[in-house]
Amino acid sequence: MELQLGLALPTNPTSEAFDLNYYGFEANNKEVDRVIGPCYTSSYEEDINDIINIDNNKRSFGQAFENSTRDRVVPRTLPLLLWNNNNHPNEEDDPKDLENHHSLFAANKNVGDGDGDGDGVVGWPPIKSWRKRLCHENQVVRAWNNQMVENGYVWGGRRASNSMYVKVKMEGVVIARKVDLSQHHSFETLTDTLMDMFRKWSEACEKNSNNYKLIYQDREGDWLFAQDVPWRTFIRSVQRLKLLKSSG
Amino acid sequence: MMMGSSFPEEVLEHVFSFIERDKDRNAISTVCQSWYEIERWSRRRVFVGNCYAVSPLILIKRFPDVRCLELKGKPHFADFNLVPEGWGAYVSPWIAAASTAYPWLEEIRLKRMVISDDSLELISKSFKNFKVLVLSSCEGFSTEGLAAIAANCRNLRELDLRESEVEDLNQSSGHWLSHFPDNYTSLVSLNIACLNSEVSFTALERLVGRCPNLRTLRLNRAVPLDRLAILLRRAPQLVELGTGEASDLRPDVFSNLSGAFSGCKELKSLSGFWDVAPGYLPVVYPICPRLTSLNLSYAATIQSSDLIKLVSQCHNLQKLWVLDYIEDLGLEALSASCKDLRELRVFPSEPFGVEPNVLLTEQGLVSVSEGCPKLHSVLYFCRQMSNDALRTIARNRPNMTRFRLCIIEPRTPDYLNHQSLDVGFGAIVEHCKDLRRLSLSGLLTDRVFEYIGTYGKKLEMLSVAFAGDSDLGLHHVLSGCENLRKLEIRDCPFGDKALLANAAKLETMRSLWMSSCSVSFGACKLLGQKMPRLNVEVIDERGPPGSRPESCPVEKLYIYRTISGQRFDMPGFVWTKDENSALGLS
Repeated sequence: MELQLGLALPTNPTSEAFDLNYYGFEANNKEVDRVIGPCYTSSYEEDINDIINIDNNKRSFGQAFENSTRDRVVPRTLPLLLWNNNNHPNEEDDPKDLENHHSLFAANKNVGDGDGDGDGVVGWPPIKSWRKRLCHENQVVRAWNNQMVENGYVWGGRRASNSMYVKVKMEGVVIARKVDLSQHHSFETLTDTLMDMFRKWSEACEKNSNNYKLIYQDREGDWLFAQDVPWRTFIRSVQRLKLLKSSG
Repeated sequence: MMMGSSFPEEVLEHVFSFIERDKDRNAISTVCQSWYEIERWSRRRVFVGNCYAVSPLILIKRFPDVRCLELKGKPHFADFNLVPEGWGAYVSPWIAAASTAYPWLEEIRLKRMVISDDSLELISKSFKNFKVLVLSSCEGFSTEGLAAIAANCRNLRELDLRESEVEDLNQSSGHWLSHFPDNYTSLVSLNIACLNSEVSFTALERLVGRCPNLRTLRLNRAVPLDRLAILLRRAPQLVELGTGEASDLRPDVFSNLSGAFSGCKELKSLSGFWDVAPGYLPVVYPICPRLTSLNLSYAATIQSSDLIKLVSQCHNLQKLWVLDYIEDLGLEALSASCKDLRELRVFPSEPFGVEPNVLLTEQGLVSVSEGCPKLHSVLYFCRQMSNDALRTIARNRPNMTRFRLCIIEPRTPDYLNHQSLDVGFGAIVEHCKDLRRLSLSGLLTDRVFEYIGTYGKKLEMLSVAFAGDSDLGLHHVLSGCENLRKLEIRDCPFGDKALLANAAKLETMRSLWMSSCSVSFGACKLLGQKMPRLNVEVIDERGPPGSRPESCPVEKLYIYRTISGQRFDMPGFVWTKDENSALGLS
């Protein structure tokens, strides 16, 4: 496919040539050579020296700063690409070229510096380190939740969902219930929900959660008071729940 | 200029004092010698976009009485760990020079620089009228340096540590915040959101209580909500607030906080919300209608429905930063409710996941582009895109000035027709004539660069990754984009030809970054030799480039214009033109 370069490439009337490609830095790649020059004569050597020796006095410090109006002094590039009917750029990628590129990219794929993603490319996607850390933390919490799902405390849960059902027993009630912990972020809402669930079975329960204490069994099999720990700790280790009548 | 010389200097100086923009001041200075002199003596604010482009000595020689100094150091890709540790951007020579030359310095703003505790101490002791310290994405200092600032800067108004890495040397009672003296009352803005450790709450409360002009307070994660309520009651005049962590939902805290927030009649900007229990969100509902800026991008616990409830009440919102939990549905709600929206950033909640975890697609962005007529600045992470969507967005929002799209998987094609996204991005540059910043992603050929070179006439900054086929791509950009200042490229098949052919262009730009491309060491040598006003830095951690064939591509390349020649603080993995180095003329 011939690239129709409709661009009007800037032709500088003062013809300050500035193509360093002349300097015989031979690209191995003949394909690229065909497309981008070379097409210059030795007179350009003098021109280039002229440019390098541009009147240094004129160069003000303003040029080091933003948006300097002095920028116009700097020479423009010459038309780089000459098209004739014989050029067929980009017809086929030079296989040798491709090889070089692939190996270069392959060399840069490494274990993304502790990104937690084994096949990651360094610095991709472009998010700052501290954001990556935040994402990781949140993924850990979600992984715990999903771990619950995998441990069998699932009630119709699909792998893709984040639901986290655990068994709940209320003291004095024969039939246990199940509650989806992923719907809750605090003990308040959880105990409210649980009291609602059990209301029909317990006369003593006037939707007053102060009558009952919530306890949970953790991964080690120990029973603990839920209110003793932060929500985050609770959610990561809870296996099952129990509502105990609080005595006096 | 005959006319100019008939005005006394004082008159000219007075006139110049109304002129603040660097561009205008630079223009003034070129009129004639006397204007140059008057202007340089009266310039108070200097911005150096690349700390290695000019030296402190040159700066001081030209501008003897600077009050506000802003410096930027590492290239942008340093944010993504592409610049090795120890590369440079040390601010200490600047502070050392300024400490003697600019005793009246009031403001220092640094971005991506390395600043030590010693420098912080020197700042605190050298500038009697020091007012503003902003350290954006900086590193190299600890809470000890902050303690020096607190203790010695009697006139400090602003201390902003945005996104910097601060080492915490937690001395038990010597907490840095308590170093602010009891009679210090001039704080206007404090941003410590990036601090990982706890701050002394008593010191914080007392500080907030005695500074009546405090308008910005961005707390760090470690400040719990019940403490926040106390602070809000002490500072109801706050305009900008960043909360701390808020995970445990407790009714007493909830009601306390509600009360506190209702007293903040001036609050316009909110951020923070780490781990916030969604049950707390109603405390901010009363302020939502006044909010112009909302940053929920740390709030991984708030899902779509709660986000929708929240943003639907923010009718005056101008800026929203949010996680992709907002999903397409949330963005649709945003476009319906927030007609004044100017800036949107959507960050990925699971950037390394292969499968999408949320229902966020190109559609969300299209909705917002349709519904928000003032939207001009976008940063959007997503997993699929189409040329159609990009065309629609371009047509909807010709006023776009900053467009950064990150399709998470490199080289992802248009998901509808599996073609490249050349045409889509082409539409963006064609329709958005004022586009100044663009970041590309997805499957892209040389063609997209042709479009960019043709239409991107106002483009100042371009970020490219995993794109293009050949040097033509790079050539289109370098030869076509007249206003290009910063170009950063990674993992593209761009080599020597385009770079060498456009060598002169590089002197009109601030900098060029190329990593994992195909630029050979030989080309770098040539460029370095022939262009004395460029520093051509080869960053290569594989050892001396001279030990490999000249045709071997370099790992990373950073080229920037400079009038102060080679820098003297280069680490071992950076090679430049030097008589003794392999890059020299031998």
